Amino acid sequence: MKPKLILLCFLLQFGQLARGQVKTITGMVLDGSDKSALPGVSVLIKGTTQGTKTGTNGKFQLQTGSTNAILVFTFLGYETKEVSIAGQSQISVQLNATENLMEEVVITGYGGPQSRRTVTSAISQVKAEEIANIPASSSDQLLQGRASGVQVNSNSGTPGGGVSVRIRGTSSINASSEPLYIIDGIPMQSNNLSGLSIGGGITNPMADINPADIASMEVLKDASATAIYGARAANGVVLITTKRGANKKATINVGAYMGAQEITKKPGVVDGPTFEMLMNEVAENAGNNAPYGSPANALNTDWATPILRTGQLRNLDLSISGGGEKMRYMISGNNFLQEGILKNSDFNRTTARINLDFTPVDKLNMGTSVLYSNNSRKRLRNDDNISGGLEGTFFYPPNRGIYNEDGTYFKIPTFENPLAAINETTIGMETNRFLGTVFAEYEFIPNLKLKSNFSFDYSNVAERVYDNSKTNSGSAVGGVAQRLGTNNSNWVQENVLSYRFNSAGHNLNALVGTSFQQSRTDVATSTGQGFPSDAFQEIVAAAVLRSTSTSTGYGIASFFSRIDYNYQSKYLLTMNLRRDGSSRFGSKNKWGTFPSVGLGWVLSEESFMKNLGFLSTVKLRGSYGVTGNQSGINDFQSLGLWGGGAYADLAGIAPTQLANPNLKWETTNQLDIGIEFGLLKDRMHIDIDYYNKHTKDLLLAVSIPRTTGFDQLFQNYGEMRNRGIELGINADVLGPDSKFKWDLSFNIATNKNKILRLAAPFNIYNRDIYRYEEGGEMFSFYLHPQTGVNPETGDIEFEDVDGNGEFDVNNDRRIVGSANPDFFGGITNSFKWKGFDLSFFLQYMYGNEQLHWNRFFQEHGGTRSTNFSISQLDRWQQPGDITMVPRMTANNYASDIRPSRFLENGSYMRLKNITFGYNLPVSFASKIGMSSARIYVSGQNVFTITDYSGLDPELTGTASNTLTQGIEFYSMPQPRTFMAGINLNF
Amino acid sequence: MKIINHGIAKHLVLAIFTACCVLSACDGVLNQEPRNELSEEIAISDARSAAAAVAGLYNQLQDANYYGRNFLIMSDVSSNQGQSIGTWDFYREMDTYQNSTGNTEIGYFYSRAYRTIYVANTILNIVPGLSDLTETQRSTMLGEAYFVRGLTYFDLLRTFGGYPGIVGTMGFAPAAESERGQLTSPARLSLSESYAMVEANLLQAESLLPSSANRSRASKAAAQALLSRLYLYTKDFASCIRYSDMVINDDNYTLNPSYTDIFTTKLSTESVFELTFNNADQSGIRNWYFPTSQGGRGDLACHTSFVEKARMDADDIRGTLYAVEPSQGVYYPTKYNKSGNIDNIHVIRIAEMYLNRAEAKARSGTDLPGALADLNSIRNRAGVQQLQLTDAAGLTEAIWAEQQLEFAFEGHSFFDLVRTEKIFDVMQDVPRLNSPTSISFTDIERALFPIPLFEINANSNMVQNPAYQ
Repeated sequence: MKPKLILLCFLLQFGQLARGQVKTITGMVLDGSDKSALPGVSVLIKGTTQGTKTGTNGKFQLQTGSTNAILVFTFLGYETKEVSIAGQSQISVQLNATENLMEEVVITGYGGPQSRRTVTSAISQVKAEEIANIPASSSDQLLQGRASGVQVNSNSGTPGGGVSVRIRGTSSINASSEPLYIIDGIPMQSNNLSGLSIGGGITNPMADINPADIASMEVLKDASATAIYGARAANGVVLITTKRGANKKATINVGAYMGAQEITKKPGVVDGPTFEMLMNEVAENAGNNAPYGSPANALNTDWATPILRTGQLRNLDLSISGGGEKMRYMISGNNFLQEGILKNSDFNRTTARINLDFTPVDKLNMGTSVLYSNNSRKRLRNDDNISGGLEGTFFYPPNRGIYNEDGTYFKIPTFENPLAAINETTIGMETNRFLGTVFAEYEFIPNLKLKSNFSFDYSNVAERVYDNSKTNSGSAVGGVAQRLGTNNSNWVQENVLSYRFNSAGHNLNALVGTSFQQSRTDVATSTGQGFPSDAFQEIVAAAVLRSTSTSTGYGIASFFSRIDYNYQSKYLLTMNLRRDGSSRFGSKNKWGTFPSVGLGWVLSEESFMKNLGFLSTVKLRGSYGVTGNQSGINDFQSLGLWGGGAYADLAGIAPTQLANPNLKWETTNQLDIGIEFGLLKDRMHIDIDYYNKHTKDLLLAVSIPRTTGFDQLFQNYGEMRNRGIELGINADVLGPDSKFKWDLSFNIATNKNKILRLAAPFNIYNRDIYRYEEGGEMFSFYLHPQTGVNPETGDIEFEDVDGNGEFDVNNDRRIVGSANPDFFGGITNSFKWKGFDLSFFLQYMYGNEQLHWNRFFQEHGGTRSTNFSISQLDRWQQPGDITMVPRMTANNYASDIRPSRFLENGSYMRLKNITFGYNLPVSFASKIGMSSARIYVSGQNVFTITDYSGLDPELTGTASNTLTQGIEFYSMPQPRTFMAGINLNF
Repeated sequence: MKIINHGIAKHLVLAIFTACCVLSACDGVLNQEPRNELSEEIAISDARSAAAAVAGLYNQLQDANYYGRNFLIMSDVSSNQGQSIGTWDFYREMDTYQNSTGNTEIGYFYSRAYRTIYVANTILNIVPGLSDLTETQRSTMLGEAYFVRGLTYFDLLRTFGGYPGIVGTMGFAPAAESERGQLTSPARLSLSESYAMVEANLLQAESLLPSSANRSRASKAAAQALLSRLYLYTKDFASCIRYSDMVINDDNYTLNPSYTDIFTTKLSTESVFELTFNNADQSGIRNWYFPTSQGGRGDLACHTSFVEKARMDADDIRGTLYAVEPSQGVYYPTKYNKSGNIDNIHVIRIAEMYLNRAEAKARSGTDLPGALADLNSIRNRAGVQQLQLTDAAGLTEAIWAEQQLEFAFEGHSFFDLVRTEKIFDVMQDVPRLNSPTSISFTDIERALFPIPLFEINANSNMVQNPAYQ
């Protein structure tokens, strides 16, 4: 395009040349469904470049010389409408939201809403109605199965517990692989803030947000979409947009549901008689006398039942939204209670949100988004914790009673009595969070806007633990208490100058901006032990007190720019450039530059592609760009440091890390090639993407010679690759005119992860069960490959990995599988007929392996005195038996072998949600003062199809270690839920 | 046509002004200062902070992976005294002489030892240059650093290196103070060079350190006592006798008349060097031996055969320091029994000087009556009958047996059994609770622990011990 032409078009925007008879037309544009005023609708006189936009009241005014001009009303996300003036001077128009899936609006980083047709990048959207009324404590859980290429695992069924989200695979080893969450434009603190060490589980700060406040979630996947977030975008970005008010009459929404949750499967351990029978067999095999005289008469204690319960689920949402010309509002309140399926565990959240928009004067828009959230959790020790209640139910022998004769708890060494773990320990966590934004946007000249905002995200987390004198940890010292206070505060200041230009088919949207962020975390801990009695729980009463405090922080400064250009919505171009500086990096490498480019071509707009029958839209797009990662490492990882290290009463210091002034960003280069199809007048939309993410300069804790005095040094070392294909299909199967509505949404994705370069292979976690090596993939299980059990002797047999003719534990071990699935995704079907609606949502994962690590401890063959899993019953008993579970002798169950039989097929498909609802007829609803009313029943995790023998194929008991995944390790499984609810609108 | 009017210009000026303000804030957010931890130049800069660095040296020694727990357990679980009854691999491997190169606790000890040496090296680097120290302060600090470095090298040497004339040819890989903070890959010294280096460090310490009754820190006597121990390893019996004499003749140290009092009180006259622990600084050793019902984790216990040996003489007070774990019927030691895990750890007791001197005299044959007298003074305190031995061999055996009883579960046992080669005799068919087969020690190369795999991977010059190659 010639520069002069641009200039001319530009000038034409502002100069109104009077010609002929001028007539003034005024009018108003309303939303066809809720009759609210639509601001920002473009009103153009057909065949000219003359036009205007509606104001915040939906009104417009323009002048024309022609009495039968045709006005074209276009608005993102709405069907375009043409109206002839036909001599009138006042025109009122209603626009209807588009049902064309290609015209759907998606939110882009800093860019605001954009039509899917003109987007050059890979973005998945999850809309409010898809996730409404699903009893998940946090919004990230709701992404599961709904966006292609986004792998979401709930680590456990713990209320408010951690969730692992991987967008297009795991791209980092020692730094974080979780995506960046942006809520209403602001990067949000999403790391676990709990400072307690009570097992492998973590808590999820995303649960602070009320899911009902969310209007949409966009998952930005490729570099073209994410590079605008530069240094923190390598793991993908999730944009959360909350609901806002509109210029319309106030509407009040009331939503409530109640339900119950229960365990889907009890721990698979044997009963008392079976336990004694097996123990007798163990003794017999060892040539000893049977310890139990009559197993059939053994006591039979079910350890699990006393600690399990049917948990209550309750949610209440209230919101009011509306507004006028000068002010729009959305105010909401929420209370959500989820009781765990284990007693004494719950999550209770109360939130209030106020989103306001003002237009004090023309051209100035201001607003606030304010969230206050209070939530409290009752937590339990679980997930690989020897004092965990659930863990105890697996270990405690069923032929013993819960209590001793004197009424005290019966105890075995090491493990806590399950009932004592639940009843004699209190673990509380209370979070108060304030997340607020103030923004102002001024339009200097038409389409040139400056937006500035300031946000503050503050969390105060108070945690308390009390183990009374009946617990193992409290018994010797007369009770132990711990208090933790964590304050996390973040501020972000951003300025974005944007310019939009549309003329003669040229559509340009350009922006430049700055962003500054600072974060600080202070933690104060105190512990006390030795209480006068179990009734005293505050540390002030303790005999021995200790306390400590820490403080840390980081800052990020950024400059960014973007150009979005398309010609006739046919040829699309997006360019991003961001420069970020982080306080975390070495003095030599504080700054990094992150560019990206995206190209798109809507082939179906070309004349040679018209008339393709059922194929209504074809779009090709591709992008390439660079993004970075800096999260997950310590704030001062590049410095050589000394910390406290007292010797008895003397203040002392100790070195903590060596300096690496060269430390810099981890960078990911990502290529994305996508094709989109619209079928049958865009009733069906298909998205196919191929991507290749190559991450280099991994922030890796490289093992260094210990003679230096240090174990490791964070270096930019190592490379990793993730590549895959994603397919998403959305369809209005029977078309917009059908009385019976059927919406189908399907997605599937593959991701292949490969570690290309590492300093040295390393093993990690409990008993070294994961191994990382070059050519391997993340979450690879490192075990002794068991080939079977000798049918004649019943002895365990392993693969001779090193080929030296004999099995030895040190050398005959190798990678036998990984927790990464071959493919995963979800299917949603929803049907509507008259007032009825039915939807079901299936989520699946295939080809992943899940380590049933409980079996390692419970299939002990008599080497422990604790209980057996039911899988022990498959043991070899006599010559000819074909089984994987060997004869119960000490050698077959030596504690240093890690037999691969515990690694199971973790593939599963789960009916995650099914909902049946009924909308009362409007005529009836209006009689009782409502504009609409819906009642529904729904179920979650209704059934799961899997070969996996554990409690839940989705569990990861070790979430606090980001290098582990796919391991069941005494975690609370996800519950099955049934509930009923109502939604009322006034 | 006027595109830019006054109002807009005003706004633009305002916008530019705002942008400038914001840009100037940029430096602010990028310059974060660490608060929990400080860079070395700030951390050690004057007399007070240097004193903190020296206190930090003892903090390294008392770490759970060193004298705070692990190092003592490594020795005692590898001998005929302790056994692993828990579910962990690392102590079971030591218990059964099947150490793997990936054994985490061996790795932790190795790492902690070199971290300790790093701190000592830092003090040796920085303290000479500090201007506000008195000469006594300076020489004491340097002496403490030499002492701790000597002790740590010695412990590395007996764990991974070898025992002259018995096993091993390679010593430790040195970490020179001149190369501190650099990524170097040192090779192992020979065994004799290593012993010479330990001796040199301790001699330096002896000359720099003052005489002091502060038992919780290094003193001249502590350096002399450690030299006494070293000379038994190098079989320099004359030097051993000379250094034992120096400590015994020092009025600061006398045998505590009550054996049990050594462990119930803290820093008694018995102690030559004792690491102190308190509520803020706990030792983990009680926790690992004490059963769950007593608030411990009960992963370790005594070999029943050893407790029976310790109680052979019913009058032996030392035999009272064991108790029975109720559910499995095994014994656990009660030397460390303070709730809250605040037991002090005895690194060197004066009793060791008597037995060192007795051993040196008996083995060198220079003074058998003197050896017997030293032995009997220890037996006398324990409440057992005096021995009347006159032959050097019998006397030596009796002294070695006494060392085992006297220092049971204080981290001496395995090193002494290897040094004296008694390990083959006492580790014959010793039953274990956790396995159907009893254990025997058969291969002297297994007396050396494996160099951790991570070190072999990270340092191309590192050579593994023969048993693990």
